[in-house]
Amino acid sequence: MTVRRGDNGSIVLDGVCPVEDAEPLLQMLQTMPAAELDWRPCRQLHTAVLQLVLASGRAPIGPCGDAWIAQWLVPKLPQNGTGG
Amino acid sequence: MSTLQEQFVTEARELIRQAADDLIVLERDGASHERIDRVFRAFHTLKGSAGVVELPAMSITLHAAEDLLASVRQGALGSSPEIIDAALSCLDQVSRWVDDFEAAGSLPAQAGEDGRVLAQRLRSLLPAGAGQRQPGSAARKSAESVEAGLPEWAARLIAAEGDALASRMPKGASAVTAICYQPIAGCFYNGDDPLQLMRQVPDLLAFHIEPREAVAPLAEIDPYACNLRLTAICAGDRDEIAGIFRLVPDQVQITSIPRDALPATPPLANSADQALVRTVIEAQCDLLRVRDRTDDFAGCVGAAARVATNALRHADHPQLADMVQRVGALDLLQRDAGPLLTALEQVLVALVDARSTDVAEDVDGPGAVAASPTERTAERVLRVSEAKIEALVNLAGELVVAKNALTHSAKRVERDFGEHELAGSIRRDHDAIDRLVVELHGTILQLRMVPVAQVFRSFPRLVRDVSRKLDKNVELVTRGETAEADKTIVDRLFEPLVHLVRNALDHGIESPGQRRAAGKPETATISIEASRMGDRFLIEVTDDGRGIDPAVVRRKASEKRLLPADELTALTDEQVVDLVFAPGFSTAAEVSDISGRGIGMDVVRTVVEQIGGRVSLASRPGTGTTVRLDMPMTIAMSRIMVVEAGGQLFGISMDAVSETVRVTPERISRIKNNPGFVLRERIVPIVSLAELMKLPERASEAAAARLFVVTEASGRIAAFEIDAIRDRLDVVLKPMQGLLANARGYAGTTLLGDGKVLLVLDVKEILP
Repeated sequence: MTVRRGDNGSIVLDGVCPVEDAEPLLQMLQTMPAAELDWRPCRQLHTAVLQLVLASGRAPIGPCGDAWIAQWLVPKLPQNGTGG
Repeated sequence: MSTLQEQFVTEARELIRQAADDLIVLERDGASHERIDRVFRAFHTLKGSAGVVELPAMSITLHAAEDLLASVRQGALGSSPEIIDAALSCLDQVSRWVDDFEAAGSLPAQAGEDGRVLAQRLRSLLPAGAGQRQPGSAARKSAESVEAGLPEWAARLIAAEGDALASRMPKGASAVTAICYQPIAGCFYNGDDPLQLMRQVPDLLAFHIEPREAVAPLAEIDPYACNLRLTAICAGDRDEIAGIFRLVPDQVQITSIPRDALPATPPLANSADQALVRTVIEAQCDLLRVRDRTDDFAGCVGAAARVATNALRHADHPQLADMVQRVGALDLLQRDAGPLLTALEQVLVALVDARSTDVAEDVDGPGAVAASPTERTAERVLRVSEAKIEALVNLAGELVVAKNALTHSAKRVERDFGEHELAGSIRRDHDAIDRLVVELHGTILQLRMVPVAQVFRSFPRLVRDVSRKLDKNVELVTRGETAEADKTIVDRLFEPLVHLVRNALDHGIESPGQRRAAGKPETATISIEASRMGDRFLIEVTDDGRGIDPAVVRRKASEKRLLPADELTALTDEQVVDLVFAPGFSTAAEVSDISGRGIGMDVVRTVVEQIGGRVSLASRPGTGTTVRLDMPMTIAMSRIMVVEAGGQLFGISMDAVSETVRVTPERISRIKNNPGFVLRERIVPIVSLAELMKLPERASEAAAARLFVVTEASGRIAAFEIDAIRDRLDVVLKPMQGLLANARGYAGTTLLGDGKVLLVLDVKEILP
């Protein structure tokens, strides 16, 4: 599973997250409204997954493991205070 | 022809071959997304390259084919045999044009018309209405809007990015393009990943993603409805970008941006700035070297990476800046500052030599822009002209000969000067050099080794076309594509294989009805299998058709008077079947345009024997036929036996020698007016090599055993009488040249260690 619950109650995006991950991610976002999003272990995000990350309004725990997103998108996102 | 044009010819041929292969597989195994994509990319790259070398006829035709394939990819059309046919014939035409272009530097006069007709045929296969919606038209339309001013979204993106745009601009970038991509809501269901397209955009300068419409609350959101607008600015050329987005032309706007619409490039950093940047980065290195700051690791590494990145951007080193940023992000992830430290140290080195870095960036810049994404991921292969490799092979060959001279020197030192010790030392040196030379020669020959796959590639197409024409169902199986042999051999294999496969299709394979009646599966199988056996290279072409009936061959052979009647009767069934290789033999009831001219199998044997191979055939009536080509792997080096006859030395290729025997006079008798002897139940006629070469024969003692080299070629056997065997050598055979070029009976010449020229006999030609 590339979308999973982290040990500390976070939602973790791991590896290559395909379009199919959108559904389970949405469910977790809905059922765990306070959970932090951790996208450090992900390698590549599908647009559908990224769309949900953006829609959730949460600042993911970075840096984003998808280097392209880290380079082009992250600087414009609200920053998560912990930084790492 | 310029280097660019030469490169175009080479690459176009590769792309044509690759696309044709994929089309065949597509038809056979069905259309997977990935496969259509590959075909599509090949056509697209071809079209792009045709544009670069300015061949509009080719571009137009390929463009039409591309549109057709786009419809297949979008699912608007199934990949019917008609479409595959049309795409293949487009490739055929392009392939002919590439040949013309290579020969004449331009396309023939009627190319424009041919291209137009072919394009029309391709477009006629498009679903109604799709022909008008040509991908790229959106790009053209938006190009016009540039004149009217910058679109609002582009202006907004430029304003938001400001100086960052200019600082990321690669040196020498000629075009700046803005992209606005609004994927349709259902795009995920089409298998689209809009980000994936954006990731392919070369030399990205800015990227922005935003919801197209107000985002619904999480509870109501549809995860599979795309509600995004992606905008970007890049230093790529508009056509190239249009290529990336050509499958979603209705969802994308691509606009060229005039340079004056961009913020001015910051003044080139002066040397004082450069020094400042060095100081800043050195400070970050010092910071990272402090090991005990584990408490604030992330902050420390993150800050160092950020500061260094900004400094580098400021000093106009966008590539270095990006690199540092990436390494920094990675380090945070792995909680290890080592790589970032190393990267910064490398940056410092690069900055010292900033001038040369700049030059390197200049060289890379435009090239990187022009390269398509496929080319970037392709395996890196060094193209070396065949002539250069040929020169190396020849030099290594000369080295082998020069090395052989050492043995000769050792002999002279020993014989003429009695220096045994020195002679021994020379021999040891010779042995050492020998090992190296053999290794060198082998390695160089390896350069010429190519996998047979490139020959096999043409066959799926051939089998498909011919079997369709003949209304037969045939499956082609190829095995051992990775087996390698010398390029000369692999290149020459094509013709014989074509004849074998055509023969199998035409004569061997029965019609589906006949196969049903014979209780066989309707779909026949032809297999081509390559393998290596020691230093031999084997290819077997097998079909499960009707086989060859010896009785039919016998009748045909007698009708065509290939052999006198009594000889024909004396042949065994196996020998009779071998007659299909005889010149002028054809078993087809009528001459078709596929095979049956009675020349094919003859060509097979001739060609294979020219490259030092043998052909054999095994057939069982009703079950099928196997033709086996047994060839050497390399022909640059041949092993010969040096023999003496009539006081002269001759070489005989070891390929032809089956054995050497001493025969006592009483075993020799006259058989059909010719002396001969019986060896393992076969009659072997004797030929005196001295007599054949018109040299004085040595008077031999009547009782002494006589020495023979038994040779076999083209199914004939003979024993050459010789005086002595002198040596066995690996030599580089040179073809007969000049006045001797037409001399018959010689395979070539080679230099011996003492500088003498050795004539190497062509056993096949001198056999009586």
